[in-house]
Amino acid sequence: MITFDKTQRKMALALFVVGLLAASMLALVDQVTQEPIAAAQREALHKGLVQVLPEHQNDPLQDVFIYKLSDTEQLQVFPARDKRGRVIGYAWEQVAPDGYSGTIRILMGIRVAGEIVAIRITEHKETPGLGDGITKDTVWLNSFVRKSLNTSTWKVKKDGGDFDQFTGATITPRAVVKAVYNGLSMYKKSRKGFYKAYKTNQKKKEDKQLANQKDGGSS
Amino acid sequence: MNTMSSSTDVSKQEIFNDGFWYNNAIFAQLLGMCPLLGVTTSAENGFWMGLATLLVLIGSNLIVSLVRDFIPREVRIPAYIVIIASLVTVVELAMNAWMHEMYLILGLFIPLIVVNCAILGRAEAFASKNSVSDSFVDAVGMGLGFTFALLLLGSVRELLGQGQLFGFDIFGADYPDVLVFILPPGAFIALGFILAGVNLVNIRMKKKKENLAAQQVAKEATS
Repeated sequence: MITFDKTQRKMALALFVVGLLAASMLALVDQVTQEPIAAAQREALHKGLVQVLPEHQNDPLQDVFIYKLSDTEQLQVFPARDKRGRVIGYAWEQVAPDGYSGTIRILMGIRVAGEIVAIRITEHKETPGLGDGITKDTVWLNSFVRKSLNTSTWKVKKDGGDFDQFTGATITPRAVVKAVYNGLSMYKKSRKGFYKAYKTNQKKKEDKQLANQKDGGSS
Repeated sequence: MNTMSSSTDVSKQEIFNDGFWYNNAIFAQLLGMCPLLGVTTSAENGFWMGLATLLVLIGSNLIVSLVRDFIPREVRIPAYIVIIASLVTVVELAMNAWMHEMYLILGLFIPLIVVNCAILGRAEAFASKNSVSDSFVDAVGMGLGFTFALLLLGSVRELLGQGQLFGFDIFGADYPDVLVFILPPGAFIALGFILAGVNLVNIRMKKKKENLAAQQVAKEATS
């Protein structure tokens, strides 16, 4: 049998205690921050949605619905409605898998006709000071406003298109332009599907509300 | 330095000065180059990264100093690493929760604080041998010195690279972006010149001190 001498036992005990304390501290902080982090993310999403959707009267976060892109892929879509309850636009997160370092997530909002209201970058790992211009360069971000599939050539200028690249960063804007173009093409194909998914979701919500009301009335 | 204050004050002041300037993590020890090169593309990024490091450093120095008598020498390094890594995660979670916008910019670099050898260096060289209050002063001095270095380098690179400071145009909107200062090589070049400047200041200060001492000796000789 292997035996441990006193110093070995002391070492193991010290490491065990340090590990235990560190783990408890992390568990505690994780507990405390979970709610604020979720709130901050919701807040960020909400701020983004206000910027990329046409002027709306509903809460797009409440009316969110799932659109099935394929059997395995789903898309969360945030609809915008006007005063009379008609759907006037949609927003969703489009993913550019081919950024300079990893994926870039783009929140894009459109009017139902397929015209971009605005885009915002929600997540990226691009080089600070170079590629991350996509989040700050308002002139560049605004170059997407009111564009649709056939108003522009969806490439960066270096590739013969209509959108600027940055000094020293072509890959990042190229990936974003391509992703937005993919998003618009996807919408063109699934416009009816979007509306159908939206309707089904609204109906489900109404049924639920009715059921809740009935429950409340009978008890 | 104020010679009138009590002896403990002087030693605390000395610890601080040592951390902030004479033994500065960047200027004197050349530690923590990884965050230095990564985030100092702008003054703001450098500043916040410095503050995040300061927080971790204070926490790690305090804890290491508190437990220094309980941890056997043989296992001190893994124990310190666990402590530092946990603190970094705490800072990361807290930033994500309460400074979400800054987290989106710096989030990628926060985990790198774990491998900033300046922090492990302080735990090993100072906090494991000194009292809690001295370790705290050391952490504040070192952390502020590190923040100052990141802020300085970030400012220089932002100014030369993009003609801006904290996002405001300094050289006008027509300033052509100088790519090399935005990219990591620019950090090395700028750092080289800053280090030369720091050495120049140190040599001047030393000469001044020597002159003063010589004058005093001369005075005593004449009197």
